[in-house]
Amino acid sequence: MLTISNLHASVEEKEILRGVNLTVKAGEVHAIMGPNGSGKSTLASVLAGKSDYDVTEGSVDFDGKDLLELDPEERAAEGLFLAFQYPVEIPGVTNTYFLRSAVNSIRKYRGQVDISAKDFMALVKVKAAMMELDPSMLSRSVNEGFSGGEKKRNEIFQMAVLEPKLCVLDETDSGLDIDALKVVANGVNALRSPERATLVITHYQRLLDYIVPDFVHVLVDGRIVKSGGKELAFELEAKGYDFIKEELAAKA
Amino acid sequence: MNSLLNTPTDPFVDGYAAIKPLLDIEGLPFFSSLREQAIRSYQEFGIPTRRDEEFKYTSLRALQEKKFKFGFGANVDREDLVNFTLGLIEAFTVSFVNGQYAPELSSHDHLPKGTYVGTASEAPTELHGAIEAQFGKIASLQGRLGSTNDERFVALNTAYLGEAAVVYIPKGKTFGQPIHLQYITSDVSNGTYSTPRVLIILEENAEAKVIESFVTLKGFGFTCPVTEVRLAASARLEHTRYQDESLDSTHVSNTYIYQETKSIYTSNNINFGGEVARNDINAFVDGEYCETWLNSANVGLGNQVIDNHTRIDHAKPNCQSFEVYKTILKDKAEGVFNGKIFVYEDAQKTDAKQTNQAILLSPTATMNTKPQLEIFADDVKCTHGATIGQLSEDALFYLRARGVEKSRAESLLVYAFAAEVLEKIQVPAVKDALEARLFDKLA
Repeated sequence: MLTISNLHASVEEKEILRGVNLTVKAGEVHAIMGPNGSGKSTLASVLAGKSDYDVTEGSVDFDGKDLLELDPEERAAEGLFLAFQYPVEIPGVTNTYFLRSAVNSIRKYRGQVDISAKDFMALVKVKAAMMELDPSMLSRSVNEGFSGGEKKRNEIFQMAVLEPKLCVLDETDSGLDIDALKVVANGVNALRSPERATLVITHYQRLLDYIVPDFVHVLVDGRIVKSGGKELAFELEAKGYDFIKEELAAKA
Repeated sequence: MNSLLNTPTDPFVDGYAAIKPLLDIEGLPFFSSLREQAIRSYQEFGIPTRRDEEFKYTSLRALQEKKFKFGFGANVDREDLVNFTLGLIEAFTVSFVNGQYAPELSSHDHLPKGTYVGTASEAPTELHGAIEAQFGKIASLQGRLGSTNDERFVALNTAYLGEAAVVYIPKGKTFGQPIHLQYITSDVSNGTYSTPRVLIILEENAEAKVIESFVTLKGFGFTCPVTEVRLAASARLEHTRYQDESLDSTHVSNTYIYQETKSIYTSNNINFGGEVARNDINAFVDGEYCETWLNSANVGLGNQVIDNHTRIDHAKPNCQSFEVYKTILKDKAEGVFNGKIFVYEDAQKTDAKQTNQAILLSPTATMNTKPQLEIFADDVKCTHGATIGQLSEDALFYLRARGVEKSRAESLLVYAFAAEVLEKIQVPAVKDALEARLFDKLA
């Protein structure tokens, strides 16, 4: 589904990603772990199409499409979803209006007619219940005045409504207490399916107790330096990132 | 000045002698002497030019050039009200056409006991004392701080004072229904001017929601309203003023508020119309533990000029004021924001927060912004922030990352920028109608 080849990206002339290679197949859950500053969030932003980053080399194939050639909204319509590390507050736009615009924009891209108001509300109610979101939240402005936990739940709620092919979770666990973490993880797990892939970007192993990955990759200094199964996450948790750096140093 | 050959005479002074007797049959008897004093003070200053500090960015040449005529009644039918955004909202309504009271467009019977909403001349005699005690006293900067105080349009309004609207809510009373004061211009003389006048008195612990709307049915006009608000201790007023006159009209308004202890005043100042719209909102906070909220949403397209001047006098300690002014400008539209905050020597623990934001949607639109804080107390918190710019890149990316096309995301954010102000309006029918109008205005 997703093939990242030799991806280099920089921000303000500073190279952050220095040759990332990664293949994700439908039905798989991959975790990308790494210390602060390793380029994890940059990778998420580049995939979603944030303009602050310059891709200097490499390619990303998303189900046969050249992802890097697409506008952010086209990527979303093709089925890519980024759950933001810092969801943006948009005062003046209600959650419902926002989501309906998103759903209908994506439907338009796919040549479908607008969803009816009735069907939309029914859909939204089911998904809000799943994410244990208070329905009154739907008529409030997007993320405005939401707690950290509410913002993250709102991200996964949007993901559940939009039903993307590829879910990218950027540090979704940051700032969550254990109860909120479980709700978020349950939401993500409910969306797991043979047609859908998930990329979980995280600093800590904690989230991976609840969203169990098939593969774990360690990103250091803009490159994936080690890949393995879920046990790699436990090793990292136990030994810290230094052991990877030491391994690398020993090889060099 | 007027004797110089190249200085045009003032149309508002020249025609006055003929109109004065017609004015004197309107309103209450004591208005007559107010008119006489006012025409003299107006005459001293006349129509301002850009050399006058308070009118530096806004040309009122139209007042000299457009030869406005004093407005007399015109026929407006109830069916015409459908043309106005707030024309059909459920409220106790007092309507004026070209400044003349229009009973056929009004509905303010069956008022709750002790309250009054209507014209000054029909007010019950037991209220005359209260009206006379306040009328013209609130709308004054006499003896106040400030070196550029300019009251010429209050004087012009008072000189041409006809009928006035009065809202009176007695002690302890909460007036549940909205009160709508509706000012319609229906041009009969290729430029009609009118001078609406309002006095709102909320006695101790009273509460009300008042909406003033200024609209044009046909043609264009010059509207020069003055509204005076007095809030006694613990009184609470939500005061929405919606100006959406025709795009060749001139609007110059003055709103003065006097607040006593623990009162809460909320202003929602909405401007979508006018070729030139200038509003002065001046709150004098003369009691402790008051709150003053000044919210404003403005949209200027084409050649519109929207100029908002606000002034908060914090004269007593322990008060808070919050000011959020937002302006969207496109094409060659111009915006002005001047926000004065005076914190008097005694007004310790004042907490004043002023925000002014503008979005410019084309390179030819301009915004002039001037926060003006004069603080004479030492233990106060005063902040002001002004941003003039484009849309938030982060918000735009967030919307696009969810699939919303760029152009749609942009218009959604422009709408939201101003809708955030409208959302605060506590009369749902007014909020919804203004949001829909905003959407149309930006489309």
